[in-house]
Amino acid sequence: MTLVLNIRDLQLAFKSWSGTSEVLHGISLTIGKGERVALVGESGSGKSVTARIVLGLLQELRGVQISGSVEFQGQDLGAMPDRERRALRGTAMSMIFQDPTSSLNPVFKIAPQFQEVLARVTPGISMSATRVRATDLLREVAIAEPERVLDSYPFQLSGGMNQRVMIAMALANRPALLLADEPGTALDVTVQAQTLDLMRALVTDHGTSVLFISHNLGVVREFADRTYVIYRGNIVEEGPTRDVFENPGHPYTRALMAAQPKITGGGLPDLVEGDRHYLEPRFVHEGVA
Amino acid sequence: MNTVLRHTARRIGTSLLVLFGVSVLIFAIARVIPGDPARVALGPNAKQEQVDQLRAAMFLDEPVVAQYGHFLSGLARGDLGVSLYTNRPVMTDIADFLPATLELVLVSGVMMIAIGLPLGILSARYRGRWPDHVIRVISLLGVSAPAFVWAVVLMLLFAFYLPLFPIAGRLHDSFDIPRVTGFLTIDTAIAGNWAAFGDAWRHLALPAFALALSGIGQAARLTRANMIETYEKPYIEMAQAYGWPEKRIANRYAFKPSLIPSLTIIGLDFAALLGNAFLVEAVFGWPGLSRYGVNVILRKDLNAIVGTVLIISAMFILVNIIVDILTVILNPRIRKADAR
Ligand SMILES: Nc1ncnc2c1ncn2[C@@H]1O[C@H](COP(=O)(O)OP(=O)(O)O)[C@@H](O)[C@H]1O
Ligand SMILES: [Mg+2]
Repeated sequence: MTLVLNIRDLQLAFKSWSGTSEVLHGISLTIGKGERVALVGESGSGKSVTARIVLGLLQELRGVQISGSVEFQGQDLGAMPDRERRALRGTAMSMIFQDPTSSLNPVFKIAPQFQEVLARVTPGISMSATRVRATDLLREVAIAEPERVLDSYPFQLSGGMNQRVMIAMALANRPALLLADEPGTALDVTVQAQTLDLMRALVTDHGTSVLFISHNLGVVREFADRTYVIYRGNIVEEGPTRDVFENPGHPYTRALMAAQPKITGGGLPDLVEGDRHYLEPRFVHEGVA
Repeated sequence: MNTVLRHTARRIGTSLLVLFGVSVLIFAIARVIPGDPARVALGPNAKQEQVDQLRAAMFLDEPVVAQYGHFLSGLARGDLGVSLYTNRPVMTDIADFLPATLELVLVSGVMMIAIGLPLGILSARYRGRWPDHVIRVISLLGVSAPAFVWAVVLMLLFAFYLPLFPIAGRLHDSFDIPRVTGFLTIDTAIAGNWAAFGDAWRHLALPAFALALSGIGQAARLTRANMIETYEKPYIEMAQAYGWPEKRIANRYAFKPSLIPSLTIIGLDFAALLGNAFLVEAVFGWPGLSRYGVNVILRKDLNAIVGTVLIISAMFILVNIIVDILTVILNPRIRKADAR
């Protein structure tokens, strides 16, 4: 199977005046072509930074130490010049963020923002060509009045509508990999479910691979073929989503699942903090000792 | 656009009220200052009858309210009375001196915006790297000294030691340019006298830059601060994640949201140029309204004081209206909320 994304022993640390804080302790993760893979874990466990490394955003910050390798479609991102890595953004890979309304620029209408997105593969695309293409793309995400949406500011649209716009933008250039970082968590539950269904249908149609980041196990179960569980910068469990859910092997996964109904309220139940077993993975990567 | 028009009309209405308030205030203050204007105008040797005559001519023997009535009816006819200092109608004096000040302030304001904002954008885009450090030093210098200090420093450096620019005045004496607008940079162009045109700009350069410097520093610092805040916003991360060109992100997608909160303060800085122009005009011997204003205050020339202050207030208010309208145009939230 050709891998779209192949992360090997990725380590990340932030250096600051107060010292070094290690955030990822060598995680490995693969995504095949057209595969939908979830990365679940509580907040602060290192999910977003992983996505930002794949996009190459974190590499541009100061005081960031990264080791290990990230291969995208067989190419080592670490060995790539900045310019080539940037060329992948918005073309071969794209991202959907948590809160669609604040991820769209508040003082520009949707149309010019769409123009920038399309200009990534069609440099200098005209506004009229943008509107034609964007209208089609917005229809794909079940927006009935694309013209009105294109002429609106984000604050004039509902959260669900903005989320559809984001999905349309994310898939506009037919990326090979879509990174979805807690998509729609800011929306209410029914709207989130609707937009996720839509997203799943579209990525299935286009054969897009997805790295789906979430702390919500219910959503993951619906969406992902395979699931990685991350805890404090370590992958502690991996497997087909069904197996992970039906037969969680790692105590952290079990705690996560036990906590699920009230994850937004009380958070995780008391864990045996400092228990060394928590950091022991339940599986071994092929080729990794 | 309809909303913008309605907003403008409303603002002009309230501004007229403010202007009325200012006129009452200034009128009252000018009359409360001790000293008899008629006596000051005629000098210590004038006879008491002469002084009384002048007082009657100026309605100074009537109650203040009646005096204000005379002033208002004059104002309605475009008549601000006669200046005791120049012996000419105040309107004529203002028409004479105002263009020089306006020319200085406008060019200075354009410099402030055309230099200050791009510096702020660059600073934010290259945050923590050398362009940022250089720009921050420049802005700090700009705001750390008042305009008249810069006027003296620039004059010494670039007109005296290095005679690149003329030291004082608006135009070399050898040019005779017919007056059309009173703006020499325009009148010389109308006259087709390009040597004089260049000379007018060379005269304008140093005072305008000295006047602009602190505004440039302010605008750059403000823009930088607001843009750095904007750079933390999810929509900028989204733009970066989608690989939009960094330059376009800076100049457009981060700049516009950052400009809206800066606009009011930049407008105030612009208006402050009018006040600072007083001293810069004094340093560069610039024959503008500020010099006239100082002279008439020192001579307790009532009509001229009231007229000058009224004109300057009107310009303050005008700047405010413009800033207000720009804010409405730039900020879709206000525009759309108003439309409802
Ligand atoms: N730019 C940064 N500088 C320092 N620490 C960071 C930075 N970004 C993230 N972190 C830290 O890395 C850890 C993981 O963050 P993140 O990946 O955002 O967690 P999450 O799993 O909730 O998405 C957190 O402890 C966070 O504080
Ligand atoms: Mg996160």
